[in-house]
Amino acid sequence: MSDGDPPPDHRLDAEHLELGSGLEVLLAATLERVPPGGVLEVRTPSRAVALELPGWARLAGHEVVGEAPAAEGTVVQVRRGRTARVLAAPLPERGDPPPLRAGGELHTADWRGAGPPAPGDAGAGFAPLGAVPEASATSYRWRLSDPDEVWADDVGELVEQASAQQWDASREVPWDAARDLDETTERAVAQVMTFLAQNEYAALYVPARFLPEVNPQLPELVLWLSSHVHDEARHIEVFTKRALAGGLRGYALASTELSLSTLLDEHDFTNSSLLLNVLGEGTFLDLLRFIELHAPDPATAAAARLAHRDERRHVHFGVSHIRRAIDSNRDNERVLVAAVEARAAKLASLSGLSPVVIEALTVMASRSLVPAELSEAAADVRSLMSTMQRNRVRRLIACGFGKPTARYLSDLHSPNLM
Amino acid sequence: MSGAELRLGAVSYHPRVVTVWERFRTYLADRGVPTDYILYSNYERLVEAVLDGSVDIGWNTNTAFVRLDHEVGGRTRILGMRDVDLDWSTVLVTRKDRPLDGVRELAGRVLALGSRDSGHAAILPLHYLAQEGLDAAAQCVLLRFDTDIGKHGDTGDSELHVVRAVAEGKADAGVLSAVYFSAFRAEGVPDVAALEVSWRSPPYYHCNFTVLDSFDRELGERWSQALLAMDYNDESIRPAMDLEGVRTWHPGGEAGYESLRSAMREQGLLT
Repeated sequence: MSDGDPPPDHRLDAEHLELGSGLEVLLAATLERVPPGGVLEVRTPSRAVALELPGWARLAGHEVVGEAPAAEGTVVQVRRGRTARVLAAPLPERGDPPPLRAGGELHTADWRGAGPPAPGDAGAGFAPLGAVPEASATSYRWRLSDPDEVWADDVGELVEQASAQQWDASREVPWDAARDLDETTERAVAQVMTFLAQNEYAALYVPARFLPEVNPQLPELVLWLSSHVHDEARHIEVFTKRALAGGLRGYALASTELSLSTLLDEHDFTNSSLLLNVLGEGTFLDLLRFIELHAPDPATAAAARLAHRDERRHVHFGVSHIRRAIDSNRDNERVLVAAVEARAAKLASLSGLSPVVIEALTVMASRSLVPAELSEAAADVRSLMSTMQRNRVRRLIACGFGKPTARYLSDLHSPNLM
Repeated sequence: MSGAELRLGAVSYHPRVVTVWERFRTYLADRGVPTDYILYSNYERLVEAVLDGSVDIGWNTNTAFVRLDHEVGGRTRILGMRDVDLDWSTVLVTRKDRPLDGVRELAGRVLALGSRDSGHAAILPLHYLAQEGLDAAAQCVLLRFDTDIGKHGDTGDSELHVVRAVAEGKADAGVLSAVYFSAFRAEGVPDVAALEVSWRSPPYYHCNFTVLDSFDRELGERWSQALLAMDYNDESIRPAMDLEGVRTWHPGGEAGYESLRSAMREQGLLT
């Protein structure tokens, strides 16, 4: 090799590859190894390829600087352009991949190192985790960019559970079991299911509204809220189906509507998480358990059981997120209390859970209008109300509120339950 | 508009021209050479505008430049051109299943040409093919696609027709810009998989920023320096540079226009 010859890795034998048939891929990969301004010698047996290379080179930001006949073809000299194809820092060297769990599973909780992500660029685009973003004129302004505003320490695990526990509302509920109830019981079931479905709409719309405000650099939160929305879509589906399945109808109550509208009024993520996840969905856990236990038919029981499994995750997220918020800054507690107070003020006109719902729950549980059976069911419903109150306080304490505050907040919670 | 603002004329061959010049306008102002742009629908009007002083700088095709330069007896100056303009070339494409041994084989056959006012897709190919021994106007059946007349081939529309005609067998060969053919190849639209390059012209210059010789030299120098400083690695201007098809700007020169000047003379286009 004479002094003027290019290094061996700056030579490429294109063999019979042509432009449009993969040669440009090989050229791009090979030119990556040539420093800017360096020359790659491309040998091709095809005269047509040699003639076409200058146009390709220009378009790709390079330049053909020479061409000479060679044994069995032509050697074309391509000088690598000096401009970067991608305006970004170089890709990092190969590093350790995320760990796998038993069975070769790659869990969302393991795809980045431990701990919450550092605050990122509030104007970042849709760069997936680990990607090196190209500098771009497109700039976003994500409202939810600071991990402290949205994070929960076990959000990765919750995302994992949400994926693993998907279910099918059309096939996993024995719908034929919902057709034979007497009219009194079925009317009560239809009312209870209508009430649940109505509430689940708000449980969907609240996370759905936050979802497009989350910085894509917090992908766990994007996945979490997406799963939350999807869960609630299924809850709307399953409770609507159960309401319809017996052929009777229930009321969508104005008092419920008023309560739900105040959930949508809250634009702070953490406040909203307290109102929806901890207080609303937390209270629904007890309600759903009650419905499962007292369901007059297996379809109703299955619907309540499946929804309960999802709501547990949502409540878990809420408690975890609120606890983190309070631990990181005690001032947050005061803000959270004010949010519950503000909502309660808007709901001052609601004196309790609608009698229509209480009566429906009672009849559903008694499955008749026989006085003795009704009496027992009414006691069960009263007991449910105390269970709800007790568990709400317990969850609020788990969030980090002191016992008196927890009691106070529980008392302020919407009588509509959600 | 400040009194010191220069006026640059360009041709609106595509809506993106507005995007490009809105960005370049800001860039040039930031560089101390505020320049407004005025768009014309065709290069003949742009040449007139440079001649009558309606604009200071013309962003000309090679054909427009040669005509302008001819009108003023060579008293023009070039303030800059794109990297691609320095080694533009024309390719002759044929079907892979009908390989061509040399351009002279095209005698008696159908040759597709782009718009008659396009330097790269009509005027120069005829000139260069003649140098190779093929008097195409006399020896071939010419299939001309005279679309977007006045745009001098900027739109690439006539070249789309050229490659389609060859691919569909309506022409035995066709000529178009090497870069346009590579772009068609890269995009896969139109489908050029069955086509190959059978001949390539020598390189020649394409577009440039032209001023009349009377234009202030010091100002022209400053304007050129501002243009040449445009950096493709600057994310704020890269999108506009991509739309303009440029990665680096060069001072350019007149040397690469001789072949077109000859071609236009031969074809009676310089009167």
